[in-house]
Amino acid sequence: MIGLIRSEFLKLRSTQVWFWMLMAAIAITALLVVGQLAPRDNVTEPSQAYDVFTSSGMAYIVVFVLGVLGVTTEYRYQTITSTVLATPSRWKLITAKMITYALVGAAYALVCVIVEAAMALPWLAAKGIHVSLGSNHIPRGLFAVFLVVALFGIVGLGVGALLRNQIVAVSVGVIFLLVLQNILIAIPGVKHVYPFSPGGAVNAIITISTQDKTINGVTLLSAAGGVIVLLCWAFIPAALGAAFTLNRDIT
Amino acid sequence: MTANQSTAPPQAGRIVVDDLTKVFGGKIRAVDRLSFTVEPGSVTGFLGPNGAGKTTTLRMLLGLVHPTSGTATIGGVAYHAIPNPLSVVGAGLESSGFHPARTGRNHLLIQCRVAGFPDRRADEVLALVGLADSAKRKVRGYSLGMRQRLALATALLGDPRVLILDEPANGLDPDGIRWQRGFFRHLASEGRTVLVSSHQLNEVQELADRVVILNRGQLVRAGSIAELSAGSDAVQVRTPTLAPLLAALAEQGARVEQTAPDQLRVHAMPVEQVGHLAFVRGVELHELSVIRFNLEELFFALTQDAAGPLGPGEPPLPVAAIPRDMSTRLSPAEGITS
Repeated sequence: MIGLIRSEFLKLRSTQVWFWMLMAAIAITALLVVGQLAPRDNVTEPSQAYDVFTSSGMAYIVVFVLGVLGVTTEYRYQTITSTVLATPSRWKLITAKMITYALVGAAYALVCVIVEAAMALPWLAAKGIHVSLGSNHIPRGLFAVFLVVALFGIVGLGVGALLRNQIVAVSVGVIFLLVLQNILIAIPGVKHVYPFSPGGAVNAIITISTQDKTINGVTLLSAAGGVIVLLCWAFIPAALGAAFTLNRDIT
Repeated sequence: MTANQSTAPPQAGRIVVDDLTKVFGGKIRAVDRLSFTVEPGSVTGFLGPNGAGKTTTLRMLLGLVHPTSGTATIGGVAYHAIPNPLSVVGAGLESSGFHPARTGRNHLLIQCRVAGFPDRRADEVLALVGLADSAKRKVRGYSLGMRQRLALATALLGDPRVLILDEPANGLDPDGIRWQRGFFRHLASEGRTVLVSSHQLNEVQELADRVVILNRGQLVRAGSIAELSAGSDAVQVRTPTLAPLLAALAEQGARVEQTAPDQLRVHAMPVEQVGHLAFVRGVELHELSVIRFNLEELFFALTQDAAGPLGPGEPPLPVAAIPRDMSTRLSPAEGITS
């Protein structure tokens, strides 16, 4: 399994996709930090700093795409043939990929957190707002970011394994996460499933008890509930993929 | 790391395909109750027209395609049951299975990591197939021939006892083909099993010890080149006075067919006897030559029904793109008369 994980890391390292995706994750984080700190009266006291320090959570969308590519690129370039020849067990293969992409997600989260802290700490200080990374629930927020971003690597793998077509899987996934999910919350009746969507789970995990836990009249799950929902989104598609779609004939 | 043939049990490298069937989409019978065996220590050519089921069979053998029924085993077990399969079976299936933005060396290192081979093994096989200078170039910039070499390097990575290669000569230049032929023969002489699918029949005749010929998913012939060619050599005679020679040959019990107004083909009689007969009967000869067994001819005879657009009266050609006026070039006499 160690060899298989090392092989997956080398697959990722040996093309340039990881670099550009990391740049995208950093850009998203930086834009969110700027968006929150640039308006003069948006953040005025330390208790409002929590949201700034969870900006890096949005990197989940990038790591999701990376996870999707982790499976679909193999089908696109037919490297799946040599991958499966080396590791005939789809369960072993998907397990190695899950471990790899969760670790990669955590690494991306780390970089984004560093970027976010490097931007926000001096900027807040310049505004006369004094926070440290150890205060105002920020450690809990950063832990949530690591968890969410790492798990989304696995969510991406699962979606990629189920759909296998790169363009379809990336577009369906991104459109769902960024657009459809947010429409969900606006539709009466249907909006009550929102807490069980991946985005609803992310919100539940990142939102702390001192913040408002309702969106448009829908109450988010507890943080633990959010973790359970997100774990389901991570492991169920990946397991279904290993059991069915990845097991199909490779022609 | 080395495939130690001397201590391996004899069935270790044997490929057994038993009653194998694959039906795609509930109706297309790509492979139909196919059975054959491939022995270690030989090069076996796996032949058939396009769509005969060769690639599907090889993919079932490698566990990439699930058989509808029947089994395909290597050394007595299915591919997926072989522990660390890369160290036992080397497969080269298509030249396109590489990420274009990855270097050739990294492609091999990825396989090394999984199988636990040291990195130097990647450099060794790159040198072996003549890709050492291009090892750190992206596959995007590789020619078809270079991709074939990389596919072969991948197959050789684990120093496997069994090699399964789909059309490995495609895209290679004549030098590459000659090198590959020698290399495969060498691997077989070490006791390894080499199964090579190919369209290039003359190439296979020179390369393979045995052939397995497939048509429409079914086995049409399997055997050694020697078995298939036994008794199939013929003698071609050209003479301006056909009648007396025809009569003489008929007396001696030879099987004769007239292939042109001034030309005969004689079966089941040695060339010396035909020459002697002409001499004693005073028949003037313009040509007396031996037509050797030709795999191509056998192949066409066996797979004729799949030839498609050509009429029944013409020699069936496997490649529709060959113009009809070139069909004479495929005559078995080519290169032997003169």
